[in-house]
Amino acid sequence: MDELYLDNIDEYVNDHNKIVTYKWLSLTLGVHVNTAKQMLYHYLDHKRKESSAQLHATYLVSGKFVDNGQTSHKVSVVREDQLEDFKAKMSLVVSVHVYSVQRALLRDSGPLYAVDYDAVKDNLKNCSRYSAIHCASAVPMSSVELQQAREVQQAPTPEAENKKAGMNGDTSPVLKSSAKPPKGIMGMFANKSAPKSQDNTKEMKPEKKEDIEAPKSKPIAKANPVANFFGTQTLKKPEKPVKEEEAPQSSSRAAQQHERSKPEEKQETVAPVEPQIDTKKDSRSKTKRLEDSDGEEEKMEKKKRRRIKKPEPDSSDEDVIPDSPQPVVTREPSSPSPKKEVEPDRHSHPSSSEMKIRKRRQVMKSHTFLDDDGCMVTEKGYVSESYSESEDDFKPSKQASRDPIKAKPSSSKEDEKKTQKKASANSNKGAKQASIMGFFQKK
Amino acid sequence: MTTLTRQDLNFGQVVADILCEFLEVAIHLILYVREVYPSGIFQKRKKYNVPVQMSCHPELNQYIQDTLHCIKPLIEKNDAEKVVVVIMDKEHHPVERFVFEISQPPLLSISSDTLLSHVEQLLRAFILKISVCDAVLNSNPPGNNCYLHVLVTLMCLPLQDFPWIVADEQEVHMQEPRLIPLKTMTSDIVKMQLYVEERAQKT
Repeated sequence: MDELYLDNIDEYVNDHNKIVTYKWLSLTLGVHVNTAKQMLYHYLDHKRKESSAQLHATYLVSGKFVDNGQTSHKVSVVREDQLEDFKAKMSLVVSVHVYSVQRALLRDSGPLYAVDYDAVKDNLKNCSRYSAIHCASAVPMSSVELQQAREVQQAPTPEAENKKAGMNGDTSPVLKSSAKPPKGIMGMFANKSAPKSQDNTKEMKPEKKEDIEAPKSKPIAKANPVANFFGTQTLKKPEKPVKEEEAPQSSSRAAQQHERSKPEEKQETVAPVEPQIDTKKDSRSKTKRLEDSDGEEEKMEKKKRRRIKKPEPDSSDEDVIPDSPQPVVTREPSSPSPKKEVEPDRHSHPSSSEMKIRKRRQVMKSHTFLDDDGCMVTEKGYVSESYSESEDDFKPSKQASRDPIKAKPSSSKEDEKKTQKKASANSNKGAKQASIMGFFQKK
Repeated sequence: MTTLTRQDLNFGQVVADILCEFLEVAIHLILYVREVYPSGIFQKRKKYNVPVQMSCHPELNQYIQDTLHCIKPLIEKNDAEKVVVVIMDKEHHPVERFVFEISQPPLLSISSDTLLSHVEQLLRAFILKISVCDAVLNSNPPGNNCYLHVLVTLMCLPLQDFPWIVADEQEVHMQEPRLIPLKTMTSDIVKMQLYVEERAQKT
């Protein structure tokens, strides 16, 4: 390997002041990623010996991590100054390599993603050409096959994904991959046209299923949520036996209202074929809060259909806004004001829309008010609410969702949605400091 | 696939919208990267499909939005030459000035859908450049304040619904400035340049 690459990297880092990640380097120079990693390492070494201009590096560390008795595999991008600490915390370090080299000290990982984004986008068809991960059967589908796959959209795919998601679900409290989640989470929010990530296909398939299922919603027995599965998915034969398997589990869940979903999901992974609803839940389990999934399974079917009109109150506007995303990212308390605006709309809908069945149910609602100190306080409580199932859910709720969002170009809308989601995420973490974060969540 | 010209008000508004959105993101990012405000008030958001940092502080956000709201009609008419983010020290002397020079070609046309994704790519590159500008700039002294200055041509005045004042000479003039160019972009709808004027001695 000639030494020219050192000059190349030098030019990128020092002259252009770029962030050089190994992936970007491999795509730019047309070399295998492992070669790129070695190049970066040698460059760093070389420059450090010369002790010339100051360089910063980030590393990708992957290994086993034990947290509260649970072992997980953790993959993280860490700054150089945190590297040794991080390695010390891991029980077994599987791999460490240079992730990027740059002149500036990066305060957050955002730019790393941005660097790779354009490089991958330009090489979309063959972005894995130099990758170390290969699968012989992973070839792009022709458009005909794609069409067929969408129409069929079956259990096998959600099953495979579910297994994977199930495993991730076990370790999700511990799993911290700064490189992967941005792509995973952002992939879920990306437009349908956006390329990449299996999460997108996951999203598209459940979406399609939901569209098909919603029109098929029929009156459902009140008491037994399990019957919901049978009632609506009659067309999906492969899923029937699954439902039966699910039934004993579901009924036990129904009996215990506040049981956490996670341990149940672990039990579910035993079932080889899972309904698509559970898939969504599992994929959500990575990011959603445990408490908020209370009672979800029992209302899952109803909720899914109803979700568009009146989502679980804790899951915020993300559910209401677009029909596409599943309330994936969250079962987190939403920001108060948009929620308030959405609620009146929701309440008016049951009366105006076609009603097939009116029921009352206990729904957990968040109530926000100013307390004596002038702090915004959000309280959650059960409220008895009447609801009905209707196929008209879709449009009215869409309008409702538009209200809290200002009339700005669509990219701003995404930002708002993101804000609300992120605001919810923050308020989650700041639950112990409600008053401090509450100030910032005002908007 | 439409061809619009500047005379088309809709198109001018579209361009102004795009630029104002970009300026908002860029300003927040500058505040984050240059540590003008504590990083705790920032949260990660997404813009142009990449993560960016945006502040949650309502008054700060309101200030930025109000200013940009006033600038928008100027940009529509191509009257705003520069938008400057000035970082000042405790004595109100400018320490750093991030200058966005904006100009729009007189006869604009958008000819295809790929234009906007191309523009998005260019703006993404700007964002990336701001993220790494630390490398080329000296660090600022603590206790900074930050203002937005807009340089406009004489013939027009901004809207009066948000208070504007003529900037003081001492707030504008920088001693011994060093010029550090950051990024340039040229596209069918706008030409923009970002450079930083930095005071040679910051303490």
